[in-house]
Amino acid sequence: MDSAAPRLPVDAEGRRPAFFAEDGVDQLVTMVLELATELWVLRERVFVIEAVADRHGLPLKAEVETYAISEAERAKLEGMRVTMMGQLFRTLNRDHRPVDADGKA
Amino acid sequence: MPFELSHELKAAHERDSLARQDFVSSLRGYILNDMAAGMKARFEDEVEPALVRSLGRAVQSQDEVHAAMRKDTYFKFYSSVRYNAQEMVWRAVIPGVEAALPDLSRQIDRLSSHGGGSLSLNPDLDIPENVAGLDVHLMPGGYANTETAAAGAVYDNGLAVFSAGFMGPNLDDIGLSMSNYVKRRFPDFHPARILDCGCTVGHNAAAWAQTFPDAEVHGIDVSASVLRYAHGRAQSLGLPVHYHQMDATDLAFEDASFDVIFTSMFLHELSLKDIKAFFVEAHRVLRPGGLLINMELPPNQELEPYDQFYLDWDCYYNKEPFYRAFRDQNPEDLIVAGGFARSDYFRFTVPQFSFTDEDAFIAAVNAPPSFDGETGRLSASLNWFGFGGWKAKI
Repeated sequence: MDSAAPRLPVDAEGRRPAFFAEDGVDQLVTMVLELATELWVLRERVFVIEAVADRHGLPLKAEVETYAISEAERAKLEGMRVTMMGQLFRTLNRDHRPVDADGKA
Repeated sequence: MPFELSHELKAAHERDSLARQDFVSSLRGYILNDMAAGMKARFEDEVEPALVRSLGRAVQSQDEVHAAMRKDTYFKFYSSVRYNAQEMVWRAVIPGVEAALPDLSRQIDRLSSHGGGSLSLNPDLDIPENVAGLDVHLMPGGYANTETAAAGAVYDNGLAVFSAGFMGPNLDDIGLSMSNYVKRRFPDFHPARILDCGCTVGHNAAAWAQTFPDAEVHGIDVSASVLRYAHGRAQSLGLPVHYHQMDATDLAFEDASFDVIFTSMFLHELSLKDIKAFFVEAHRVLRPGGLLINMELPPNQELEPYDQFYLDWDCYYNKEPFYRAFRDQNPEDLIVAGGFARSDYFRFTVPQFSFTDEDAFIAAVNAPPSFDGETGRLSASLNWFGFGGWKAKI
């Protein structure tokens, strides 16, 4: 993202409803869904990569198995993992309160 | 799967964002079809029999259903997953909108000079609290940002994901279904001026311009942000619409100046006081013989307690606080209070115009309304509910 680009809020104002009585379960649901999303993003990208490679006659799958990751690439991957963790645990600092008798949150 | 928006203001999302959008769209489709069916089965098989035993009678209200379902694990997961999916809709489109924002104003300015539509903003308008003070639909930042077209862009891109294809290629199936209902049901009615109130990004106002190309179509909203975007969007689609920043409860139009007043998914975002004020205004600005037509969620009185509970989920968990209060009303009484004659009230249900063949659509237009658990609900067998009234001819 261009650092000069305007930033928009990504969270709605207010507390999130907690549907589960046990503390933390609602946040766990978010974590699982974020994980599932990122897993899908990856699967879709791999699918496209293999399709593109195949279109160009590149034996991609075989080369991937023997590829050696460089130190610079390792650092880059570490940064990507940290970003992913931020998404995964994004609800930990949000307020939650149980849904009351009227269902209001 | 979401449809890709076909106008020039659509954000160019990166591949991973597109994959996130596909995922959350599919997730919503799964929630609204598969999980919804599973939750209803859970209610009928387990929750309802237990509830009937404890009450000693049949279930009578959605509150009884809601109270019982809140303890049920299926409902907890359904709600938690659905709430998360709502957040994820916006999160999947915001990066692309952020990247597009620096050019968006320039794009809208350029489009503004090509086409027959217009934009009139009123910086002195008081933005009502239900828009200014609330992130409706959990949309981060809400709809009231007046500095840029960002809120319009987030809403349009988000709605394409949220609707999971149910609202048609340009998100205009409601506008197409309602305008074509009018065209097919009342073939001798030829509106010259049409007004869409609470039009947001103008997706349905543009549909009216498409269905009635000889009419002059106007759209109003209180948010300058969504109107800026609506203007550029309609210009890009080549559909001339005149957008005005205006409050539907205090219209700055002459008496008897429109042939059609239209709303879509609008009334349920207003307090009852504002709904009543709007119907008085709608009656005032309609010409004698003019038509008020509202697309809405079906009234609770038409539905079984479980289906009432199911549709009112958004009231409790999607920051739409007036949703249920509206659905608890009799729409006929509301428009009569606005000045329409009870004998001029009508209501109807129609299938989606974009996905229904001509003959089936016309047959539905001329059939009595049918209400079931699918009415007004985004699902595979969706049909839309509408109601309205004619202003008495002099």
